Amino acid sequence: MVEAKYLSMKYEKGGHYALENISFHIDRGEFVFIVGSSGAGKSTILKLIIREVKPTDGVLKIFGRDVARLPRHRLPYLRRNIGMVFQDFRLMEERTAYDNVAFAMVVTGSSRREIRKRVPHVLGLVGLHDKAKTRVRDLSGGELQRVGLARAIVNRPAMIIADEPTGNLDPGTTLDIMNLLRSINLRGTTVLVATHNREIVDRFKKRVLYLENGKLIGDEQKGIYAHVH
Amino acid sequence: MFISGFFYIIGETFKGLYRNRWMCFTSTGVVVVTLFMLGIFMLVNLNLGHITDTVKEQVEIVVYIDENADQETLDELGQKLFSHSDIESVNYVSSEEHMARLHRQLGGMLEGYDAEMDNPLLASYEIRTIVPESVIDLAEEFETYPGVSTVFYGQGYVESLFTVTGVIQMVGLALMAGLSITAVFLISHTIKLTVMMREREISIMKYVGATNWFIRWPFILEGLIMGFTGAVLPLIGLYYLYQYSVEWVVANNLAFLTLLPVQIVLIELATYLVPLGTGLGILGSTFSMGRFLRV
Repeated sequence: MVEAKYLSMKYEKGGHYALENISFHIDRGEFVFIVGSSGAGKSTILKLIIREVKPTDGVLKIFGRDVARLPRHRLPYLRRNIGMVFQDFRLMEERTAYDNVAFAMVVTGSSRREIRKRVPHVLGLVGLHDKAKTRVRDLSGGELQRVGLARAIVNRPAMIIADEPTGNLDPGTTLDIMNLLRSINLRGTTVLVATHNREIVDRFKKRVLYLENGKLIGDEQKGIYAHVH
Repeated sequence: MFISGFFYIIGETFKGLYRNRWMCFTSTGVVVVTLFMLGIFMLVNLNLGHITDTVKEQVEIVVYIDENADQETLDELGQKLFSHSDIESVNYVSSEEHMARLHRQLGGMLEGYDAEMDNPLLASYEIRTIVPESVIDLAEEFETYPGVSTVFYGQGYVESLFTVTGVIQMVGLALMAGLSITAVFLISHTIKLTVMMREREISIMKYVGATNWFIRWPFILEGLIMGFTGAVLPLIGLYYLYQYSVEWVVANNLAFLTLLPVQIVLIELATYLVPLGTGLGILGSTFSMGRFLRV
C-alpha cells in the first residue's frame, strides 16, 4: 500500500535533509505509528504520501503508483482515497458538522441521496449523531476531531493518515479518538498516525516507525515509544 | 453526479457571498467607488470630446472663384470639388447670395447701395471636410486649382483650435488610461484579499480531494457577481448625476455646452464599465487563487 525506497526530502536546495534515505513498506490493513521528536520528519512523510511535496530522491509508491510522477490533475483522485486527520482539525468553522462531512462527499461527486444517507451514518459511528446540525465552532476539541475523523472516513478511503491527531486534546478525549482510529482500522482501513504521544503508542502496541533527524532508526512490530537501539 | 456538483457550486457561490458578506461588501464597495470615479471621468472626457468635435465641425473652407475664369474652367472646378473624396459637403454661394447675406448682417447700413449694379463680392464654394483636421492640407490643394481666386479657412485660428483640442484629447485619454490601470490594481488587490481570507477553506478543499475547477467555480462566480454589481451600481448613480447635469445646463441656458444625450452616454459607459467590472471580478478571483491551488 505504501512503499518507500531510499526516500529523501529537502525543503530547500542546499538545506538539511527533512528525510534522508529511508525505506519502509506498509501493507493493507496495518496500523502504524510514526514517532519521533519535533522536526524528526514525521509530518514530511505524511506530506509526501498526499503529494503536498515531492521527494528530492528515491521513490514513494502509494497504491502501487509512484506519487512523484502522478500528474497534477490526478492528485484529487489520490487524495480521495486517503482520509486526512489533522492536529488543528482543519474544519470549516462557520459550517455545521454535517456540512463539513458532506463536503468531502460532494467534491467526489456523490449524489444528494447518497450524502443524505451516508453522512448521518458516519456521524453516528464517531458518536456525533446529535451534533449534526451544530456549527463546528461551537463544538469541543474532542468533538472537532470526531468531525475530522468522520470527514476522513466518509468516502471509505483505503488509508487514513493522521498528523498528531491528539495533539490538542486532553488524555480522556485522546483515548476516545485513538479507539475510534483502531475501530476504523479493524474494518480494514490502513491507519498511519504520526505522534509524539508516548502513552498512546505504549498502550496500543502497534507497529512503530522511529524517526530521528530525518532518518529511520527503527521499525518494530508491537513497538513501544522508547526505541531500544 | 454532475447535477449535484452543479447545484453545489451555485449554492456555494451564494453561501460564500453570505458567509463572507463583509469582505464581499468591501470588495464590491471598492469596485463601486473606483468605477464611479472612472465613470465620472469618462463623462467629462466624452463630453469634452463632443464639444471639441462640435467646434471642429464648424470649421470650413471657403474657396473664392476667380471672376475672370471662363465657364469651362468653372465647370471643371465645380466637378472636381463635388467629386472630391475628402469632402463631406459643398455649397455653392453666388455673389448675389453673398450680397444678400451682407444685407442681412448689416441691416440698414447698406440701404441705397445698388448691389445689382456694383457687386464686388466673389462667388464661392463653402466646403466641409470629412476630417476637420485635413482643412489645412485641402486648402493648400484647392489653391492650386484653376479658377480659384483665394482660399480661406480661418488661417491661424484653426491651427490653434486643433492644437488645443488635440491636447485635451491626449490628456483625457492618458488620465482615463491611468485611472483604468488604478482601477485594475485596486479591484484585483481587494479581491485577492477576499480570496486570501479564505485560504484555509481552499486548503481543506484540496485535502479532501476537490479538483481545482471544483474549487475555482464558486470563487469565479462570486467574482463575477461582485464585479457586475460593482459596475451596475455606479452606472445607476452616474445616470442620475448626468441627467441632473444635463437638466442644469438646459435650465441655466448654457447653450455653448452642447452635452451628449443621456442615453448615448449611458450606453457608452455601460459598454466600458460593465465588462471592466465583471472581467476584473472574474480575473481577480481566478488569479488570486492560483497560489493556493498549487498545493
